[in-house]
Amino acid sequence: MGVTRRRFLTMAGVSAMGAVIFGGCRVPDREVLIQSPARLPEDLVTGIDNWYASTCHQCPAGCGILVRVMEGRAKKIEGNPDHPLNHDPVLHMSKTCARGQAGVQLLYHPDRIQGPMRRDRATGELLPISWEEARAELVGRLRELRDRGASDTVLVVTEPLRGHLGLLAREFVKAYGGQHMAFEALEETVLREAVKRVFDQDRLPDLDLANAEYVISFGSGFLETWLSPVRYGVAYGHLRQGREAKRGYFVQVEPRLSATGANADDWVYVKPGMEGLLALSMAYVIVSQGLGDQEASRLLTRGQGAQYLAAYRPQDVAGAIGTTPEKIEELALDFAAKRPSLAIGGGSAAAHTNGLFNLTAIYSLNYLVGSVGQRGGILFNPAPPVAGLPVAEGRVPFDRWQELTGRLASGKPRPVNLVVFRGANPVHSLPQALGFADALKNVPFIVSFSTMMDETAAMADLILPEHTYLEDWGDDLPEPGPGYEVVSYQQPVVRPFHNTHSFGDELIMVAKELGGSLAQAMPWNSFKEVLQAGARKLFELNRGSVTAPDFDSFWRGVLQRGGWWDTARRGLARPLPKPLPVREDPQFTAGEYHLLPFASISLTEGRGAALPWLQATPDPMTTAVWQTWAEISLEDARKLGVSEGDFLEITSSNGTSLEAPAYPNPAAPPGIIAMPLGQGHSSLGRYAENRGVNTFMLLQPATEKETKALAWAATRVTVRNTGRRSRISKFEGSVRVEALHEVEIVRVTKG
Amino acid sequence: MVQERPKHKWTMVVDIDRCSGCQACVVACQAENNITINEQRDFLQRRAKEWIRIERYWEAIDPSKPAEFPNVKARFIPIMCQQCDNAPCEPVCPVYATYHNNEGLNVQVYNRCVGTRYCANNCPYQVRFFNFWEPVWPESLRNQLNPDVTVRSRGIMEKCTFCVQRLSRARRTIEGRRGKRITDESMTEENLMPACVMACPTGALVFGDREDPKSRVNELLKEHDPRQAKSVAARGYRVLEDLTTEPNVVYLKKVDPHLKKVKAHA
Amino acid sequence: MLVFLWLVVPGPWPITGGLAPRVFAHYFWGVESTLYRPAPDQPLAFSHVTHAGALEINCAFCHRTVEKEETASVPAVEQCIFCHKIISGTGDAAVAEVQKLRDAFQEEKPLNWVRVHRLPDHVQFVHEPHIRFFAQQDPAAPLEATCATCHGDVKTMTKVKQVRSLKMGDCVNCHKDYNAPTDCAACHY
Repeated sequence: MGVTRRRFLTMAGVSAMGAVIFGGCRVPDREVLIQSPARLPEDLVTGIDNWYASTCHQCPAGCGILVRVMEGRAKKIEGNPDHPLNHDPVLHMSKTCARGQAGVQLLYHPDRIQGPMRRDRATGELLPISWEEARAELVGRLRELRDRGASDTVLVVTEPLRGHLGLLAREFVKAYGGQHMAFEALEETVLREAVKRVFDQDRLPDLDLANAEYVISFGSGFLETWLSPVRYGVAYGHLRQGREAKRGYFVQVEPRLSATGANADDWVYVKPGMEGLLALSMAYVIVSQGLGDQEASRLLTRGQGAQYLAAYRPQDVAGAIGTTPEKIEELALDFAAKRPSLAIGGGSAAAHTNGLFNLTAIYSLNYLVGSVGQRGGILFNPAPPVAGLPVAEGRVPFDRWQELTGRLASGKPRPVNLVVFRGANPVHSLPQALGFADALKNVPFIVSFSTMMDETAAMADLILPEHTYLEDWGDDLPEPGPGYEVVSYQQPVVRPFHNTHSFGDELIMVAKELGGSLAQAMPWNSFKEVLQAGARKLFELNRGSVTAPDFDSFWRGVLQRGGWWDTARRGLARPLPKPLPVREDPQFTAGEYHLLPFASISLTEGRGAALPWLQATPDPMTTAVWQTWAEISLEDARKLGVSEGDFLEITSSNGTSLEAPAYPNPAAPPGIIAMPLGQGHSSLGRYAENRGVNTFMLLQPATEKETKALAWAATRVTVRNTGRRSRISKFEGSVRVEALHEVEIVRVTKG
Repeated sequence: MVQERPKHKWTMVVDIDRCSGCQACVVACQAENNITINEQRDFLQRRAKEWIRIERYWEAIDPSKPAEFPNVKARFIPIMCQQCDNAPCEPVCPVYATYHNNEGLNVQVYNRCVGTRYCANNCPYQVRFFNFWEPVWPESLRNQLNPDVTVRSRGIMEKCTFCVQRLSRARRTIEGRRGKRITDESMTEENLMPACVMACPTGALVFGDREDPKSRVNELLKEHDPRQAKSVAARGYRVLEDLTTEPNVVYLKKVDPHLKKVKAHA
Repeated sequence: MLVFLWLVVPGPWPITGGLAPRVFAHYFWGVESTLYRPAPDQPLAFSHVTHAGALEINCAFCHRTVEKEETASVPAVEQCIFCHKIISGTGDAAVAEVQKLRDAFQEEKPLNWVRVHRLPDHVQFVHEPHIRFFAQQDPAAPLEATCATCHGDVKTMTKVKQVRSLKMGDCVNCHKDYNAPTDCAACHY
C-alpha cells in the first residue's frame, strides 16, 4: 500500500468560503453571481472534490473516514479504505454506518451554538460574549478557587477520553488539583472487568467473527451499536458468505429479538439476566461429555470436572433460564463441535445486578473450545504503542455518579463549586430517580463546551462551544482495536463553521493564563502541538504503516493515511483459564413487566437525536421513526386490550412514569416491554426537542453487584392502557409492499 | 473520427444472506442524493422518500401456526429501483420523462417530468417517490448538498439512479482522462461505487458492470443466477420475476439451515 | 407607430422591445447573438479585449480549471494581483479599476461578478470533457478556438456577452454533429 494510493490530501492550505448551492426551480440570487474569492487556496476549485482522511467521532468505535470536501464544504463521508478498523480486506473499501454518514449534518446543524455565551444572572438569559471574555471569566473563577485552596471542588466531566486529549485532561486536572470523571450512559465497565478477570487484559479484545464457524452472542447487539459495529458488520458479512462453501452459524441469546438477533440463524429466548446461567449449563454439557479442551476443562472447574458444574445440569436449570434442556444441549454440542467457535456477551446481559457473573461465565466458554487468542476466536489488543496513552481516561462506574449527586445535593464532604462539561450529557442520560439535574442546580458555576445546546449545556452559566470533529485536530486509539497497534488521526477537514474553538486548545490556554505549575505542566501552545509531540514518538519507533526520513514527511504521511498502525505488533497474550464463576441470579424490583431499554440503532443513547437523518432512520425491527415507542408482546397486547398506537402508561418501580405508544411486536416475549433510548430531549436543537420520551427516566438506579455499573436492564414496570392513541410514525406501510413476495429463502439440510 | 464508447451494463447484486438491516445504505443514499429530510409528517402521510429502503418481514418458523413469539422470525430485504430492462414505469409516462438508456439504467429526467405520478402507480416495486413539497433545508444544512445532484423541485418524481452522478464522474475521470476501462477496482478506488454500496458494512450490496467479464457481479451471477447456473446452491432470483420486468438487480437468497427440505429451482 | 416601435426598438426586456425581429432573425438568418440579454455591467470593468486580445493571455491562464474539471472557474483576486502588483494600468480609468482590485485584495473582499453564462440546475455541464474532445480532434488548434465554440470571440468583447443560446437544442445539435452522447443521463441527473 503506497502512501498516496488514492487522492488523499493533507490539510495543505486553509479551506475557503462561499459554496455555490443549488436551489429549487427559481434562480436564487447567489446563483446569478459568481464569486472571485480574495485568496487563492489550494483546495478551492469549483467542481473538484478533495478527500481528507480523518477519524469518526459519532460513536466511541473510532472508525477511519474520508471526507469529501468541495469548495470548503464537507459533502459526504466514506470509510477510509486504509484504516484497519472498518476496512473490508476483500472488497478493498472501508465501511461506515448510518451514524457515521450523518456526521456532516452535525457540522452544518442549524442549531449549533455559534459562539461563546454567558448567562446573565439577573434575567437568566444567555448572551453572546467574546472568547477572550469567556476565557477570562473561566480563568478568574478557577484562579479564585485555587487561591482559596478549593481546587478540589472543581470537577471536569467528559466522555471517556482517548489518546492525547485524555492525556491533556489528565495533566490539567492533576496540575490544577481538580477531579476528572468520564460519563458514559451505557457503560462498558462490566465488560472491561469481565475481560480483565477472564483474560487478564486491560484492553478490550478483538472478536474474529469473520473466521469463526459458530458464533454465540449473549445480548450483544454487535450489528447495531455495541462497541465497534462497523467492524463487526464487515466481519459478519464474511462469516456468512465470505468463504468458499462455508457459512458460519450464528446464535443470538437474548430476552428480546433485537436487530442483531433477527440476523441470527437461531434466536434463543432467555429470561432477563439468565445468560450466565445458560453459559454455565453449556459448560456442564461440554465438560461432562468430555468435548472441551482437557486442560481448559480442568482449570475452569478447579480440577473437579463436571462435578464442579453439577448444579447446572440442563434439566435442572432450563426452567430458570426460560428455555428447554434440549436447546441447551444443542447449543453446547454445536458450540463444542463447530470450531472455531466464539462466545461473546454484552449489552443487556451485562446490565443486570449479576452482569459480571454473566459475562465471566460467557467469555470463559471460549477456553473450552480453544478460541482464546486463536483465529476465529478472541484476539487480544496490545498495549498502546506509546506508553501511557489512555484508552478510557476518567471512566468511572455508576455508583460514583450516585456519590457525586449526593455530594452536589448536600455539599458534603466537600461542595462542588465549578463543573466543566465536555461531550457528556448526564442530565439527559442518568436515571431520573437519581436526581442529578436537581442536585446540579446547587453548583454555583457550570461551564459547558458542548457543540449543541443539550440538556446539560442548557443549565450552564458559561458556554464555550467546541469544534465538531470535522473541524478539529485529534487522535484516537480505537477501543477495541483490530488486534494490533493503531493510532488514528483526526484533522480539520473544513474551516470552523461557527465561532468555536478546540477543547484541547482552550485547556492549554486556560492553563497558560492560570500560570504557575499548571502552565509548566502544559508547556504547549496548541493541541496540535501536543499531537505532533505524540506523533514524534511514533516516528521515532521507525516501524509500522508510515515510516519517513524526517518528521515532517511522517506527519504528512499519517494525516494522509488517517493514522498509523503496525500489523506486526499484535496482542499475543495467552491467558490461562480461571475457575468458572458460581451462579448468581439477577435481582429485580417488583413490577409486572420487565423493562428492556435498548440503544436505538441511529440515536444510540441520545447523541444522534439532534440529526434529522438519524431521526428519520427507521428502526430495523419496527421501522418506527422520530419518536419513542414501547414494544409489547401480542399476548400482553390482547390482555391489555391495546393495539398499535395506544398510549401505554409505563410506571417504574420507583414511581416515575412515562407514556409511549404501544407497538405490538410479534417477536416480543410476554412479560417484557422494550423501549428505545435516545429521545425525550428537552433541549438539543429543533429536531430533537420535545419528541418522544426519555427512557432513562424510568430506570431504577440499580447497580451491578461488584463493578457498581448501572444495571440498566434491571428495572421492572407496571403498564396501563391510557385509552388515548395516536398513529405511530413508521416507514412500514409507506409503500404498498403487499405486492412483493416474501423474501425467498434457500432451504438446505441442516448440518 | 467516430469514437467507440465502451459499453456498460450496470447491475447490482444484493446478498440477503449478508444484509443485517443496519440502515447504513439508507442514510448514505440520503447524504449523497440531496433527498429532502423525511420529517415525521412525511411518515404519517406515507410520503417519506427512501430511494433505498430496508423492508422487514415477519415470518412464521412453523407456517402452520401464527407468526407470534416464539414461532417468529424477522427477515430484511433492501429494495431500491430495480432498473428494469422492461420497466413498467416507462410506457405510461406521457412525456417520456422516464426511459431506458443503453447502459441498463432506468433514467428519470427531472426536467421532463410533469408529475402525473403514473409511473409510481405502475411500479410494482414501489420505488418511485413524488415530491409533494418544495425541497427545503435550513440555510446551514444546504452547505452539505451535493453539487453533482440536482435538487428536485416540487411536483416531480424521483428514484434511485444507481448514483448516476458517480458513474458519470467515473466515465469522465477513468475512461475519459485516463483512457482506461471502468473496473470494480478503479471505481472503488475513486469512491465512485454507488453510495449505498460504499457504505454497506456487511458487503451485501455489490455493484458493477456486466460488460466487464472480471467484475464481481459477473462472478456472482455466474455462480448464482438461475439463468446461468443450474446448481441447487445457486441463490439468485429477481424480485417479482414473473412480471417479466427483467430487473437489473439480482438478489441472492437468505440461507436458512433450519428449513429441512431442499427446494430446487423451478 | 407603437407596433413599429415594438418591432424595431431593441431593448433589454424580453417580451417587448424588438423580440419579434430578433426571433425572426434567429430563425431565418441564424443571427443568434441578437437574442440574448445584453452584456451585464460588472463590479469591475475588466476587459477581455486587453487581456485576451492585446496581451494574448491564454484562456486557461486565468480560468485555471477549464481543462481539468467541471467549471472553468473565475480567478481568485490574489491571482489577478500576481500581475497587478506591478501593472497599474494605463489611463485614469484603467488605473482606477486596478485600484479597485487592489483594494479588494487588501480588504480580502471577494468580487461578486454577474454571471453571464448560466445553465439551469438540472443540467450538469462539465467543461473538461468538452475541451478534451476538441483538443483530440485537432491537437494543433489553440485553446482559445475551442472556447470560442460556445463563448464566441471573447477577446473582442469589452463586456462579455452570451453569444449562443446554450439551450438544450443547441447542445443536442452539437452533440449530434460530433457523435457525442445524446443520452438524457449524460447531462441530466
